[in-house]
Amino acid sequence: MKLFKQLALGVCAAAMFATAAHAESIKVGSAGGVTGPIAELVATIIKGRDLARDQINAEGGLLKGDKLEMVIGDSACDPKAAVDAVGKLVNVEQVVGIVGPSCSGATNASVQAVTIPAGVVVLSDSATAPSVTELKDNDTVFRVSPSDAYQGLAIAQLVTKAGIKKVAMTYSNDDYNAGIANVFEKEFKAMGGEITGNQAHEPNKASYRSELQTLTQGEPEALAIFAYYGSSGITIIKNSLENGLFGKFYAADGMFDQSVIDQIGADNLKGKIWITQASSDTADASYKAFAEAFKATGADPAAPYAAHGYDATFMMALAIEKAGSADRTKIKDALRAISNGKGEVVRPGEWAKAKKLIAEGKDINYEGASGSADFDANGDVSGVFAVNVVGDDGKWSKELLK
Amino acid sequence: MDPVLYGYMLYGISLLTVGGMYAILALGLNVQWGFTGLFNAGIAGFFGIGAYTAAILTTNPHASHVGGLQMPYIVSAITAMLVAGIIAFLVGKVCLKLRSDYLAIATIGIAEIFRLIVNNETWATNGPRGISQIPRPFEGLPEPINQVAFLGVVLLTLAGVYWLMEIARKSPWGRVMTAIRDNETSAKAAGKNVETFRMEGFVIGCMIMALAGALMAHYLKFVNPQTTDPLLATFIVFVMLVIGGSANNKGAILGAFLVWTLWSASEIVAPRLLEAIGMTDAGIRSAYVRIFLIGLLLQIFLQKNPQGLLPETRPSSPGKNGS
Repeated sequence: MKLFKQLALGVCAAAMFATAAHAESIKVGSAGGVTGPIAELVATIIKGRDLARDQINAEGGLLKGDKLEMVIGDSACDPKAAVDAVGKLVNVEQVVGIVGPSCSGATNASVQAVTIPAGVVVLSDSATAPSVTELKDNDTVFRVSPSDAYQGLAIAQLVTKAGIKKVAMTYSNDDYNAGIANVFEKEFKAMGGEITGNQAHEPNKASYRSELQTLTQGEPEALAIFAYYGSSGITIIKNSLENGLFGKFYAADGMFDQSVIDQIGADNLKGKIWITQASSDTADASYKAFAEAFKATGADPAAPYAAHGYDATFMMALAIEKAGSADRTKIKDALRAISNGKGEVVRPGEWAKAKKLIAEGKDINYEGASGSADFDANGDVSGVFAVNVVGDDGKWSKELLK
Repeated sequence: MDPVLYGYMLYGISLLTVGGMYAILALGLNVQWGFTGLFNAGIAGFFGIGAYTAAILTTNPHASHVGGLQMPYIVSAITAMLVAGIIAFLVGKVCLKLRSDYLAIATIGIAEIFRLIVNNETWATNGPRGISQIPRPFEGLPEPINQVAFLGVVLLTLAGVYWLMEIARKSPWGRVMTAIRDNETSAKAAGKNVETFRMEGFVIGCMIMALAGALMAHYLKFVNPQTTDPLLATFIVFVMLVIGGSANNKGAILGAFLVWTLWSASEIVAPRLLEAIGMTDAGIRSAYVRIFLIGLLLQIFLQKNPQGLLPETRPSSPGKNGS
């Protein structure tokens, strides 16, 4: 009996300790494909989210000094895993809102099956599928990553501006690249261009010669590639150059990596390749503020969607601060309020300033590292795009598309 | 109700719902692997056929994919099973002559072919973008009644499948199946048409898998080719069946609920465990540690318990008591 009492006391004490330790932290879900096909990209995106968290906690935290806690959920880029992981964040971890998940499919399933019915706000930093826009979401699904519709449009404009009329295109058959390719095809035709051939390809093949041979028919002036550099993109360019099939390449951001230049050679690529990228205005003060802090943690600020991960987390925190409490139901209105283009500008890292302005009841307008991050009626942003070309130093050199 | 308690209740409901769907999958596999000894490593394919059929039949019309026929759930579930049954029959015609491990290789191939078809036939399936806005039964009701009601649908379906499978197991048909599994030559010698029986077992199992796929499509409200990723649609089902007890229908169900709970809840426990031992980046690391731990646990369990939690029990032979 005595032992039992001691045990009970111990449990109570542990429980009290546990609640005391957690009372001062506000949980936000950090969902992403930690395992699965894009694990490498996600690791850096999560670093971006964590940087925002660390800066916020270092500058006074949320509300009355509460710590922002990012609870990771592994959506594994698989709809089944995502529904399970996001369900746990909502129901077990009781998060106020969710940043992520990565992968459009995982996002699509988890918002429809879990967060929209539960009324929890999801702010994705990397879901780009246009179908997310269509969801009847009671205004609870937002994203700071521009829909593919916008990148497809950006490439079409770039090609048209270069005076190219006939283009062959190939895309890796995954949801991301197929989506951009789709929009590119539509927009380029609408601008009066001609698609001489359009071939889907499966990634990770040893050679794409036969596909490329077929694509040379109809005298295309350039090849538009929508693929990931590692799984097929580099091979496609190598095959094309070795056999003299194509001399000009336009590509979406799945192709953006230094290894493209390293493996093919700067001399071989110079003046031949243009890669668009959902980007940040690197000359912009917001981006510089983020990039400096992110570099200091040893991470690469140009990594895909790292800036978006940072912005999404910072904005979620601003929304909690604006709402005045960790109340799920107030987040969606607050999120619109902190970034609608009106009010005093707040940039990455300026948490203390934002906190003070909100406390004074002033309107703020977050200008993010990834762009202005002002939401349209669907909770989407139009994004900023850049084009990368091979620079004199054998590195990518970036220019903003306007 | 206290929101934390309420949250745990909702999580519990989701565990049972998904566990129930996996239990149906495990029962389907049990007919094939447990009773007939067919090594079907393409569960994901038939699961996917069910999911896509249900998606195409029940959604509203949409420009991105075929169908959108707004059919009642019962019609779509039955169609999903029929489609899977027909495809299983055709596949069986070609593959069932193969012996165990060759059948496994062939069925993996079939599942991969299915994945490539849905990935590439964009006009029909919207390709890698998947089919969105799939309706779910009772979703219009207020929370949590809608979730409880859908759980009811899953559990009732599970009960129905279990009931039928128990009848099958105890029937002469079931005994022929185990006879084929244990000694095909003597089953043949006893005058049984082994090929027909194997085909029956294969087709029935695949139809049950498609039923689980249809339920999953409604639950997720979205399907894409990644939904048929073999890790969480093929291999985990084998683990469930083997841990629960191969050739035991109760074991299949127990294994499914147990392994799914372990899989899902480990994500809650693992980061806390790592944090407690002072590891940095506990969140990201735990996603991997979790997979490792589950694998380790399964290894240990299977070493100690090769029969599974509920070993096979043979139905009493009618000949024994002279009845």
